[in-house]
Amino acid sequence: MNRRQFITAASATLAASALPSCKSSANQKTLTVFTWADYLSDEAKAGFEKKHGCTLVIDTFDSNEAMLAKLESGAGGYDILVPSSYAVTALKRKNLLQPLDHAKLKNLGNVDTDYLAKAADPAMEFSVPYMMAPTCLSYLSSKVSDPVESWSMLDRTDLAGRVTLLDDMREVLGAGLKFLGHSLNSTDPAELAAARDVAIRWKKNIAKFENEQYKTGIASGEFFLVQGYAGDLIQAREENEDMRIFIPKEGSTFSCDDLCIPKDAKQVDLAHAFIDYLTGADVAAENMEWIGYRAPNSAAYPKLSEEFRGIPVLFPPIEIFNACEAIADLGDQLPLWTSEWDKVKSA
Amino acid sequence: MKPSRWPLACLISVLVFFYLPIGFLVMNSFNASRFASKWNGFSLRWYERLFERHDLLAALMNSLKIATYASAISMILGTAAAFAMNRYRSRFQQAHRLLVTVPLVLPDILMGMSLLLLFVSLGVKLNLITITVAHVTFCLSYVALVVQARLQDFDFHVVEAARDLGATKFQAFCKITLPLLAPGILAGGLLAFTLSIDDYVITYFVKGPGSDTLPTLVYSMIKKSKDLPVINALSSLVLVATFATVAVSQRLTRSGTVRD
Repeated sequence: MNRRQFITAASATLAASALPSCKSSANQKTLTVFTWADYLSDEAKAGFEKKHGCTLVIDTFDSNEAMLAKLESGAGGYDILVPSSYAVTALKRKNLLQPLDHAKLKNLGNVDTDYLAKAADPAMEFSVPYMMAPTCLSYLSSKVSDPVESWSMLDRTDLAGRVTLLDDMREVLGAGLKFLGHSLNSTDPAELAAARDVAIRWKKNIAKFENEQYKTGIASGEFFLVQGYAGDLIQAREENEDMRIFIPKEGSTFSCDDLCIPKDAKQVDLAHAFIDYLTGADVAAENMEWIGYRAPNSAAYPKLSEEFRGIPVLFPPIEIFNACEAIADLGDQLPLWTSEWDKVKSA
Repeated sequence: MKPSRWPLACLISVLVFFYLPIGFLVMNSFNASRFASKWNGFSLRWYERLFERHDLLAALMNSLKIATYASAISMILGTAAAFAMNRYRSRFQQAHRLLVTVPLVLPDILMGMSLLLLFVSLGVKLNLITITVAHVTFCLSYVALVVQARLQDFDFHVVEAARDLGATKFQAFCKITLPLLAPGILAGGLLAFTLSIDDYVITYFVKGPGSDTLPTLVYSMIKKSKDLPVINALSSLVLVATFATVAVSQRLTRSGTVRD
C-alpha cells in the first residue's frame, strides 16, 4: 500500500465511522439537562431513563456566568438547568425560567425546611434545591497548635505564608463580614469597609489567593491552613488523614445548586418528573453520597450511610447551620462590592 | 577548533522542557493518589474508571469527528482562498485578504458569541454540525495562510508546460499543482486539526445538548468531579495513539520516497 492509498483508506474509514452519528432515535423521548460534569450519579441517571422510557442527554457548563451568557443569547434546547442559587435569581430576573407546577412535584415535602428558610427561592416557585455545600477552613493538625474553629485563625502570624484564601470576592469579603458579625450579603458601606480592612489584614498573612491548587497544596503539606469548598476538601482529606475541616463558628457561605426549568423547555412534563424523581428520598440519598455534597432533603438523611451522615461540615450542628447564609444575588449593589474587592487585591 | 557544546546543551534542555511535563502526566496516570503532589503507589484505578466513563469516550469521539471534518473542509476552502488571493488581481483583493486574515486575530469569545447569535437567529439547532461549521471559520484562515506561503515560490511554468504538452486544465491541476502543493495543504490541515481539537471558547458557545467535546467536558469536570485524574489516563492513551500514528506515517513516507 502506498502513501496515497493509505491516506484515502484511512479517511474513508474515519468518514464511514462518523456517519452513523447522523441518525437519531426518533421514537424515544429525550430530556436534556444543562449541568456541571459528574453532577448526577450513574445509578440515578439509569434509574430515571428506565422509569420513564426516555434518554437523558447531559450537556455541561463550567461556570454560572458562561451558562448565563449562553442562555441570554438565545441558545435553547434544554429542559432542565442546574445553576447556583444566585444564577437562578439572575435567570428569573431575565425572565428565562418558567414557574414550577407543584401539582406534579409530589416529593417537595421532602426538602429540608431549615435550608429553605435561607434559600433565595423559599417557596420553590422557580427552583428546587439540588445540592449544597459550605465553604470551610481546613488545617493540618500536626502543624497548627491549639486551633480554634473560627475565622480568627486567618490572623495567626505563626502560619504566615502557609495560608491560602479563595480568589473570590464573595467568599473573602463574606468571611470578613461574618467575622465581624454581619450578614455576608450586606450592602452597608460602613460594614463593607470594615470587612475590607479585615481582608487586607488577612492578605498580609497568606501565601496567595487560590481557587484550585489549595487542595493539592494542603494534601501535600505545602499549606497549613486553607479556605476551600467542602466537596473539594473532603476529597483531599481522603489523601491526608492529618487534615481537619471545619465551618468557622461565626458562620460561612453555603452555595447551593438548584434545579429549574427554562422558559423554552420542550419536555415540560418530563422535566417536572425529573425534579420529582431527584427529590425522592432514596434517589437523593444515593445521589448525594455519589457526588459528595449534601442534598437538602430531610427524608433522605435517615437513609444515608453512617459514615456520610457523620461528616460534620456537611451536616453541622444546628447553631452553626443557622449561622451560615446562602450567597444572594447583589443586583445593582454589585459595584460597591467590586470596588472594595479591588482595594483588597491592590493592597 | 573543538565544536561548541552549547547546541547540545540547548537541545537537551529544550527536549526536557517539552517532554518532562508529559512524562509527569503519564506517571501520574498510574498514581493511586488523586493529587499530583503525592505518590501513593502504582495503580490502574484511573484507567479502569476511564473505561466506565462512556461520556468521556463519547466526548473524545465528538472531538475527533469535528476535527477531522473541520480540517478536511478547511483544507479545500483554504486552498481555494489561497489560490484566489495569489493568482488573480482584482479590486476586492485587499478586502478578501483582510477578511480571510481577520479570524486569526479576532478574540475567540467574540467569534463564539457572534456565531451563536447567528445560529439562533437562523433557527439552527445547535449540535455537532454547528461546532464543525464554527471550527471551519477559523481553521480556514490558517490553511489559507500556510498554502499562500507555499504558493509564493510556486513555479507556475511547470503547469504551463503541462498544458503545452496537452494536459487539460483539470489534469494539470491533479497531476502537477496538487502534488506540489500537497505538503503545504497537509501542514495547514494538521494545524487546523490541532486547533480544532483544542478549542474550548468557541465550541462552548455553539455546542448543543449531547455534543460535548473533550475540552468542554474536562473544563466542567474541574469544578465538581471526583474523577478528574481519569483525564491523565485518557491523555496518556491519546499520547500513545499520537506517537504510534506519527511513527506509522513516518514509515509510510520513507517507503514511499524509496519507491518514487
